[in-house]
Amino acid sequence: MGNCCSDDAGGRMAVGGTAASHANPNAATSNDAVENFLRSHGYPFSQIELSLSASGLRDRDVFSKSDPMVVIYTKERDGTLVELGRTEVVLNSINPTWITKQTIAFHFEVVQTLVFRVYDVDTQFHNVDVKMLKLDEQQFLGEGTCTLSEIMIRQDRSLTIDLLHREESNRGNHSRNCGKITVHAEESASSKTTIEMILSCSDLEYKDLFSRSDPFLVISKIVEGGAVIPVCKTEVIKNELKPKWNPIFLSIQQVGSKDQGLIIECFNFNSNGKHDLIGKVEKSLADLEKLHRSKQGENLFIPSSVGHGHPLETKVLKSRLFVDKFTESVQHTFLDYLAGGFELNFMVAIDFTASNGNPRLPDSLHYIDPSGRPNAYQRAISEVGEVLKFYDTDKRFPAWGFGARPIDGPVSHCFYLNGSSHYYEVEGIHGIMMAYMSALRNVSLAGPTLFGPVISYAASIASQSLANGGRKYFVLLIITDGVVTDLQETKDAIVKASDLPLSILIVGVGGADFKEMEILDADKGGRLESSTGRVASRDIVQFVPLRDVHGGQVSVVQALLAELPTQFLTYMRTRDIKPNV
Amino acid sequence: MEKYCHPPSRTVEITILSGEDLRIDRRSIQKNAFVVVRCDANNFRTTEMDGEGGSYPKWNERLILDLPAHAQAVTLEVHCKTAFGNKVVGTASVPVSDFVGGYVPESYLHFLSYRLRDSRGVRNGIINISVKMKDPAAPQYSFSASASAAEQTTVGVPVGRSDNGVGVVTGVPVWCAYNSRNF
Repeated sequence: MGNCCSDDAGGRMAVGGTAASHANPNAATSNDAVENFLRSHGYPFSQIELSLSASGLRDRDVFSKSDPMVVIYTKERDGTLVELGRTEVVLNSINPTWITKQTIAFHFEVVQTLVFRVYDVDTQFHNVDVKMLKLDEQQFLGEGTCTLSEIMIRQDRSLTIDLLHREESNRGNHSRNCGKITVHAEESASSKTTIEMILSCSDLEYKDLFSRSDPFLVISKIVEGGAVIPVCKTEVIKNELKPKWNPIFLSIQQVGSKDQGLIIECFNFNSNGKHDLIGKVEKSLADLEKLHRSKQGENLFIPSSVGHGHPLETKVLKSRLFVDKFTESVQHTFLDYLAGGFELNFMVAIDFTASNGNPRLPDSLHYIDPSGRPNAYQRAISEVGEVLKFYDTDKRFPAWGFGARPIDGPVSHCFYLNGSSHYYEVEGIHGIMMAYMSALRNVSLAGPTLFGPVISYAASIASQSLANGGRKYFVLLIITDGVVTDLQETKDAIVKASDLPLSILIVGVGGADFKEMEILDADKGGRLESSTGRVASRDIVQFVPLRDVHGGQVSVVQALLAELPTQFLTYMRTRDIKPNV
Repeated sequence: MEKYCHPPSRTVEITILSGEDLRIDRRSIQKNAFVVVRCDANNFRTTEMDGEGGSYPKWNERLILDLPAHAQAVTLEVHCKTAFGNKVVGTASVPVSDFVGGYVPESYLHFLSYRLRDSRGVRNGIINISVKMKDPAAPQYSFSASASAAEQTTVGVPVGRSDNGVGVVTGVPVWCAYNSRNF
């Protein structure tokens, strides 16, 4: 389910919910508001509650201890701080534990930097609402910084950081230790509770001229002010008047609560995107549960042409909706797996084919700008790497190049970026950058563009890790400037890898026409098929062309990452692998 | 790749999960599709008929077969019972190398999908299965892999209509599962 590109493929797929494993990625073209909505929201993110405590705060009051309060900020990409909220003031304590929790949405694909500033609130302000306090009138006790991911990957989900206080005055730019702050993060329970339902309908009406209808369901919630927000959509079942859809997974968080009013609409799929409404019902999850227990069907209704919404002006249909299954379960979330010690391991492969242009010339895609402005390859590495490095404990990353001749060798389609013949790992994102720049000096660009060897190498690392009992999921980033020459071999390698704990992100740089590459991304075409007739058992490839720099915006590369938690969960859940916290 | 030393025949557990977009003469099938899994001419197992999935049937049925040491492939045949008798919807051949060999632990749970082709060789739908080698009689291998539940004793418990269409409940990781640390 493509997250990043707002184009219109995959109209018949089920969207939303939390664990749409083995959906039927039928190729179809339609433009769909639901899809765009869900795409823009992506991975059903988790709500995190932060609780704070501190120790050893500085004592600034003369006759008593400090009266501390914390202000929580997030740091944006451009460095500006945005206030998220404030705790209450704890009176007379240098080791306070604050009660007020701060809620924040966890976004896997961006580095969420948090800043905590502790203030001593003066007695004269104690009757003032904390939100109204002017911070410059309070005593600053110190500040601490960390990223949200740093907290989430810890087994106890607690991180203690030093509070620093920068004195800008006569003591120079000197940081003093001003105690410690401990941040504890808790994923809210509603992120984890999932309802699984199997819905079916009977006696649907004919909408197509020459065949039965092609029905699908859209479930939406009604929010304050009457706005309707789609939450989930089933797959399209072709030519069927008593359809039974694949299980729908809804997390309570997506819906709001079990008593939240939902509209379930049944549409007839039309490839032009104008789906006809067959009928609808309005029920909450609690109602649907009752319906399931009673084994009764609920008649669909359709608003009649005059007026809208008024119950008197609707027509009740013979068609009925059944709830064949309704179960409530607590599912492990992506964050549970992280806390349980699972890791994402980052690997990178860089295209050194001649079509990139001579790296010494400024028009080359590999040109290293002396001013330090990153080229497209460097940008893709750092944007993906800076996010993924938090989830990789040893921060040693396999790095390869392909499509070039290393010194005195024949063209290699998978050589170690660091120039070594023994080990392929480099230290940190910085290590990848250094290896990349040294490789540019040491290899001569050639061709053709083959992905097969690199993907097979990555797959063998993933399967070796399984053999060693590793609890790892691998992410291979391939950056390329052209279309693959070995399309069938690449497909074969991807199909084989779809059974392994591996996802592949392909970033296209430069101005080439990448139309053919989109075949590899199952969101945009059908399921990948190998030359032997094996089909990819799940979608593991995401492709995105990196064209223009959009300053400040979340980049397309980061949007790619948003899909990873879902791919990770699909792998773990189908195999019933538990996080074992 | 290393060469495995096979015992004369080994046990393989094949779960037939589901089919997608199955047709007979270009028309979507309505019901009564079933699958025959064949290791050789006389060594085969058959699933129940699917009653309600139409052209997207779901079986979720676990079949245990003896895999002869010489077997190169396992054949999947999707049949459909119609008013005019049994018809073969399509077949697919599963190379044994897709689930044996390589680096992954022997008892890794593989999720595999194959393109079906009808008797004329025309593409016709997809079949999804999961495959797991049962441990050989003497448990002489020593992988401590996460996904390799050493459940040598459990045989042939039919997997009930499993929920999300893929959930076969074998292969629980060894580091045992307490589900309950949720708040």
